[in-house]
Amino acid sequence: MNDEAVALGPPERLHPLSLLSSLGASLRGMWGLFAAGGYFAVQGNWLLLTVTAALFAIFSVGAAVLRWRRFAFRVGAREIRVDSGLLSQTHRSIPFDRIQDVTVEQGPLARALGLARVRFETGGSAGTKEDGSLAAIPLQRAEEIRDLVRASRGLAAAPAVGQITEEEQPVFAMDLRRVLLAGVFNFSLAVLGGLVGLTQTFGDALNFDPFRRRFWEGLFAPGTPLGDFFLAHQVAAITAGALTLILIGLGTGLLRTVLREHGFRLDRTAVGLRRRRGLLTLTDVVLPARRTQAAIIATGPVRERFGWSTLKLQSLAKEEAGKGDHVVAPLAQEAEIAAVLGAIGWPAPRGPQWRRVSSAYVAAFAAALAPFALIAAANLAFQPAVGTAGLAILAILLAVRVLAWRRYAFALDGDRLLVRSGWWRRRLKILPLRNIQSVDYQQMFLDRWFGAANILIGVAGGGMSGHGIKALPAGTARDIRDHLLSRFT
Amino acid sequence: MTVEAAPLHRVEPGYRHVVRIHTALFWLPVAIAAVVADQLLLWATPFYGLASILVPLLALAVIILAPNRKYGRLGYALQPTLLRVVRGWLFHTDTIVPLVRVQHIDVTRSPLDKAFGTATLVVHTAGTHNSIVTLPGLSPDNAAAIRDEIRQQIRTDFE
Repeated sequence: MNDEAVALGPPERLHPLSLLSSLGASLRGMWGLFAAGGYFAVQGNWLLLTVTAALFAIFSVGAAVLRWRRFAFRVGAREIRVDSGLLSQTHRSIPFDRIQDVTVEQGPLARALGLARVRFETGGSAGTKEDGSLAAIPLQRAEEIRDLVRASRGLAAAPAVGQITEEEQPVFAMDLRRVLLAGVFNFSLAVLGGLVGLTQTFGDALNFDPFRRRFWEGLFAPGTPLGDFFLAHQVAAITAGALTLILIGLGTGLLRTVLREHGFRLDRTAVGLRRRRGLLTLTDVVLPARRTQAAIIATGPVRERFGWSTLKLQSLAKEEAGKGDHVVAPLAQEAEIAAVLGAIGWPAPRGPQWRRVSSAYVAAFAAALAPFALIAAANLAFQPAVGTAGLAILAILLAVRVLAWRRYAFALDGDRLLVRSGWWRRRLKILPLRNIQSVDYQQMFLDRWFGAANILIGVAGGGMSGHGIKALPAGTARDIRDHLLSRFT
Repeated sequence: MTVEAAPLHRVEPGYRHVVRIHTALFWLPVAIAAVVADQLLLWATPFYGLASILVPLLALAVIILAPNRKYGRLGYALQPTLLRVVRGWLFHTDTIVPLVRVQHIDVTRSPLDKAFGTATLVVHTAGTHNSIVTLPGLSPDNAAAIRDEIRQQIRTDFE
């Protein structure tokens, strides 16, 4: 329409600071040039080094400046236009109606300069991440754009309300104590995993590898200072080692959690929920309620004992890191989770009729493990230690599976499907039947032996963990499928 | 109404040949690699000769038997509101896509499809699991007819 063409605002540029970040990207992209430069420097070939550096400067800085000059965006009443591209030019139009999520992000440097990155999530823009975002614009302008988009979406979503109403009281917020507690539960030894990887890669070059037995045998051999010390203070040394591990795990968990969840605050807006969090990188995400596909309440054996769990929403809008599930309550009690769910109009499940699944959940798993058990048993004859360890691991896997089976259950709660699963990673998934995209009835040959079948459900958005019910008796599975699809037939 | 009310249709018999060539394209290199590895690497071991005989025999058996079985197990039903695709025995899946959930539809024909007069219907949904449901072995006319029928359904139920 003509009106809309007129309504399009004047072209706006990004702040020149965005040059820095695009320079960073091209620095990463030009590692080949760096390798060449380093090689020339080692060779003492200063002429070639200078030429390389000059080439690099011309290409990367020049390209970044040109790209910055070509990048412009215009904000209209109903859409945002982004013009970009050096050789292949792109004119992208992002209608507000297609935008499912607006994020305003600030890194530490951007905060110092009062800048922000605005990122738009649309259903189709999976691959082209960069064009859906404005890298560095003044914070005030970023908030204006976000409010504009949100207001337009708000009108579309709830015409009766019209205005954005943000309540004074947050739906959910975490004080520092809660954040620290969440950090304790995020106990993680991933750092050690990273160290294992590092020494695997570089251990040969360093000529020692702390994750090999030989390294420690050498260190602790009787006669060496450390060995004698260890022999003299065995209990103390083992305790100290265990304490170190615990401290590393706690520290990692606390650090990661505080960085991510500091100042966590969830507000209700006209269209859905607004989440703000972060210590160094503040993120501000709006999750439209009607884009929410499913809810996942996650907990673990220890957390559940104290009544804590995490609430995630599976939304069509993708998380900044590419994961599909948005955490809207990192650590909350049951009542708080019910409050958050209530804010998007989902009643919390109350006393549903849980139905257990077939023992094929364990039996088919055991049958799949059987070949490995045979191998481990055969190994007993040749390498007793390896064989025993293998059998022990298989026994633990089976035991955890049995525990998981005892918890595994599903319920048809009105127009919602509830599935409760896992023993260590406990999950309660709430899936409104209207969000079902497709249903699979699946029967592998192992399932067939035990008369069981699985139901797999396609749901939009979300991460890797799919929806479905495992190990139902075959007849029940068909009935459930009919029920799940009843609104479509 | 249950989703199993409508009878399943079979796809075109030509699909067997498409499957056979696909199977052969997978198994022939495997068999050749097994024979080569056996002759070059295993000649000093007591297992020498085993792989050279067994793997090609297995490949031959699969190439002869699998296409008919896959063809026999593949069925589809287009109901007023649902598309149902049933396939497989060892890995049996029975997929149902409500037509209102279809985002867009492709009809594709590979060179093999053209040689044996078949086409593949590809249905895209928004789901993370099952975002692409394929129904191979249709006659091109039938594939186009199903596509048009589904498209009609999308249009009438479009919000």
